Amino acid sequence: MSATPASFAPAAALERVTFSYRDSASRALCEIDFVLRPGEMVGIMGASGAGKSTLVKCLNRLVPAFEDGDFSGRVTVAGASSDDRPVSDLAATVGMVFQDFEAQLFSTNAGLEVAFGLQQAGLPREEIIARIGPALEAVGLGGFESRDPTTLSGGEKQRLAIAAVLAMRPRIIVFDEPTTDLDPEGRAEVLELIQSLRGQGLSLILIDHDAEALRACDRVLLMRDGAIIAEACPEQIMPRVADLESAGVRPPDLNRAWATLGLEPHPRDLATAERYLRERLGERLAATDNAARDARPIAPDRNLLTVSALRFAYSTAAPAIEDVNLTIAAGEFVAIVGRNGSGKTTLAKLIAGLLTPAAGVIRLDGRDRHELSALEAAQAVGYVFQNPDHQIFAATVEDEVAFGPQNFKLAPDEVSRRVAEVLAAVDLTALRSRDPFLLSKGERQRLAVAGILALRPRLLILDEPTTGLDYREQRRMMTLIEELNRSGIAIVIITHTPWLIADYARRVVLMRRGRIRFDGSVSEFFADEDLLKLASFRPPEINLLARRLGLDALNVQQFVTAIRALRSRDPAA
Amino acid sequence: MNTEKLSAHPMAIRGVIPQGSRAPHRPATAPPSAAPRRAHELRLMWRNTRMVVLSVLTAALYAAVLVPFKVVPLIPGVTELRPGNAIPVVCSFLFGPAAAWGSAIGNMIGDFFGGVGPGDVFGFFANLAYGYIPYKVWTIVAAPDQSPVALTPGTLARYVLAALAASMLCADLVGWGDNLLALRPFWVLGNIIIMNNMVAAIVLAPLLLAAIYPRVRRAHLLFTDLMPEIEASARPRRLVGFAMLLGGEVTAWLAGNLVSAGYWRPALVPAAFNVAPYTRAVALTVSPAIVIAIIGMLLL
Amino acid sequence: MLTSLYLDRASAIHRLHPVVKLFGLFVVFWSVFWVDRPLALVPIAVLLILAAQVAGAWPNFYAFRWFLILMIPPTMIEWMAVYRQGPPLIDFWFIHLSGAALRYGFGKGLRLAELLAASILFLSTTTVEDFSQSLINLRIPYRVAFAMSLAFRLVPLFMDSALTVVQAQRLRGYDFDQGNVFERLRRYVPAMIPVFMGALRRVNNMAMALEARGFGAGVRPTNLSAYSMTRRDVVACALLIVIGTVYFLLYLYGYGAVTP
Repeated sequence: MSATPASFAPAAALERVTFSYRDSASRALCEIDFVLRPGEMVGIMGASGAGKSTLVKCLNRLVPAFEDGDFSGRVTVAGASSDDRPVSDLAATVGMVFQDFEAQLFSTNAGLEVAFGLQQAGLPREEIIARIGPALEAVGLGGFESRDPTTLSGGEKQRLAIAAVLAMRPRIIVFDEPTTDLDPEGRAEVLELIQSLRGQGLSLILIDHDAEALRACDRVLLMRDGAIIAEACPEQIMPRVADLESAGVRPPDLNRAWATLGLEPHPRDLATAERYLRERLGERLAATDNAARDARPIAPDRNLLTVSALRFAYSTAAPAIEDVNLTIAAGEFVAIVGRNGSGKTTLAKLIAGLLTPAAGVIRLDGRDRHELSALEAAQAVGYVFQNPDHQIFAATVEDEVAFGPQNFKLAPDEVSRRVAEVLAAVDLTALRSRDPFLLSKGERQRLAVAGILALRPRLLILDEPTTGLDYREQRRMMTLIEELNRSGIAIVIITHTPWLIADYARRVVLMRRGRIRFDGSVSEFFADEDLLKLASFRPPEINLLARRLGLDALNVQQFVTAIRALRSRDPAA
Repeated sequence: MNTEKLSAHPMAIRGVIPQGSRAPHRPATAPPSAAPRRAHELRLMWRNTRMVVLSVLTAALYAAVLVPFKVVPLIPGVTELRPGNAIPVVCSFLFGPAAAWGSAIGNMIGDFFGGVGPGDVFGFFANLAYGYIPYKVWTIVAAPDQSPVALTPGTLARYVLAALAASMLCADLVGWGDNLLALRPFWVLGNIIIMNNMVAAIVLAPLLLAAIYPRVRRAHLLFTDLMPEIEASARPRRLVGFAMLLGGEVTAWLAGNLVSAGYWRPALVPAAFNVAPYTRAVALTVSPAIVIAIIGMLLL
Repeated sequence: MLTSLYLDRASAIHRLHPVVKLFGLFVVFWSVFWVDRPLALVPIAVLLILAAQVAGAWPNFYAFRWFLILMIPPTMIEWMAVYRQGPPLIDFWFIHLSGAALRYGFGKGLRLAELLAASILFLSTTTVEDFSQSLINLRIPYRVAFAMSLAFRLVPLFMDSALTVVQAQRLRGYDFDQGNVFERLRRYVPAMIPVFMGALRRVNNMAMALEARGFGAGVRPTNLSAYSMTRRDVVACALLIVIGTVYFLLYLYGYGAVTP
């Protein structure tokens, strides 16, 4: 748990390691020196492409034995040079858990999944069988031996991957963005599990682009363009808000607020932060009248969407949607939240016309959905799927955007006018003749939005548009959506990300077991403890702090404004 | 990884590889165990992890797309066209031997989800041939390094030949196998399979190849890129193989059709077998031709 | 969504060694091969019904009921077309239909249905793991069997993504059912490319994860098969051998043939 004596031989070490991928002009790693001590937990953060994954892949020789490119430098693992050793040779020493949980499960049941690596090592059958149970037990999946991985949730799949690594009894476990594709519940499960592995002599490395996840590490590295630009304990590195942001990392809310307010020292957690402010602001806090209500107005001048008494079931099983009533007005920005399987996506698909309701009415612009032509419906509501790769197929970015308008047989000059307009809106004009498959994930996500925007919908539904993106790409995506909203398009966004709701949404709809359990403002939602528990949803840290202090602030910006207002009330403070 | 290859490595020439850290040109996925020097590529490919994964993906794609992508009835009630039938041909040009195994496994899985169709062992090998032959024949009949994309009339003819060579052996094998088990007459199954495969290969596969081939090449996932150690046999040997394949499969197809439909009663076949419905006569007449075609295929 | 046919039960058939079950499948194929007469096929049908009862496999048979029934008529027609013996009941242009041809065709149809039934029974009682393990027991190389079981795991995933892609393109106004047969086949391109490319994006991730878990270590991977030959298996094998022999004898002595 705590720092280990320096006399211990390092668990692994990289000396002046430089690597560039085949076909790439720039270096993915640039003269990296890094020592991993036994029993320590190191966090690595940085934007996509900063070299985080490349660095950890040096430990089990995926770089350069699997990834092709120019490599130089020395890597030592468990006291021995790893030169010339095949990747499989290091599998028992360095375990690795990857972001893509579907790509690292190979078996048709959980027990065999755990056994897989042990089988490869040729361990005796009895030994393997003896290790399966405890490994599953250790990740909280006891008794799951014969479960098909397909039936597990994302968090469970990731825990299964960890069990499979644990069974190999490695000395080092690397977690390469294990929670990026998970919902908050799965994310919490996995992070908690990783914490529980500490103090067993294991060296852990956790990669994440959200700094909050790394606050519990012994040491954190900040990477940018293939180099380690900062290395310190979390208490020292988190306050460097500007450095984090410029490296494409989301700094913790508390640190951001403290930095903006120019306060010192930065708090380590919520309790310290509260004590700090109470000490300094004292009775002025008690005097707040909580008048700063949600300032962002809702303008329900015209109903774009009216859903009434909607019901839907996938099979004979329990209905996926039951008695749902919902109205969305022009210009609104709504977030739909709820656990996985609560019916969010099903509702969106019903509105988009991909599913047919069993009962109830969906009205778009006051007209029953059935009465609309395909084009009219597409102009009323657009739906962007979660994974942009589920629709991109054309040879160029332009062709991809033109696909929709062409299908609806718009005139060629109208098509090209729309393509130009939409590409400008999503900021892809410069890439218009590129092959979409070469774009980054964030760019592909924006391209998918562009493909729908080209049909000029008045209401846009986006299903988890920021999942799998790094912080910088998430911000960019959300700025785009915000601009669309300002230009008059109503936005409905399905999301799990608290800060995103706090920063952008004006209304929250909570779904649970196919029904709407809450429909109201963001601050009401964040304030309702029972509701939050039901949805296993944790509001942003800064909102929690604000409410403890009796202030009304959803995000850092509002918090800073509120504190400044308090301070200015009495210049003596 | 062998040492003589390393010395010829471009990075070694540029002097980037420091002592003690040799970056192999190709991923060191192969176990260093001593294996026979010149194994057949259908065996060799299993040593490369990426190739194993590509065969898995071919299989999963084939099985996953065969079922849900709606069929287009060609002759209503008798046979239907599935876009999935283009996958073995497309993958063949991309992933070579991995596509051959992938198609075989994918077909088997498709059967698993729908209840194993009888004669599945034959379906396995038939689809292996269907995924294996296109790229092999292509590299014989087309210029070296000719990409199967942007076909001109000249190269199109060669492409059609490659697809036909593959479809026909596939049809022969299923037709023969099902005849052997006396499940379906050769003339029914043999011709339907050729037609289905050829329509998919000519109408759909070139469009998919045009979109996918350049991208796979850029990602360095073409099998020629992944396994440069696969060397083609000497050309004369390949030409003999090609001749045997074509001769064998055409003979098998003609004989199978004629005998099973009752238009030809080969003199060599015992009279007892030469009665309708000729299942045993078909098996006897077609078998030698099939064997020749298979040997030819392995020599390609 | 299609799923594997396996039914999680603990019947006597489920607990048989998977290699024995595979042998059973083979024996059914072997037995029906030697006989054409519908009557001679009845014992196999009875055995299959009994086995389905023991294994509790009726839900799967119910799901395949139409398929099992409807596969008989076309098979009958195909075979009757080539069967020319016996005094014709109808003799018109190219149609020569005799009573023997009818029986012969029906036998063929019944046999095909029985083979399908045997396969359904096998799949209802055998998991993918056991199947691939039994392949390894039968000396199929580990990596081939592994590729098969991994592909199995991925099929539902890919199928899901194929269906999603179709929906996504429909939302952009794309019509998959337009034009003649060839045109309709071609219209699947915008659906197949994303599925294909999505799979390709995974290749490196998957190969990397495999190697990180020790795939390719060059050691012979441990066989985890939980089955050993029990008395039950020996008895089942003996029974199967008897059935196979009886059917071969039926053929030898001419009892299996349809007589004109």
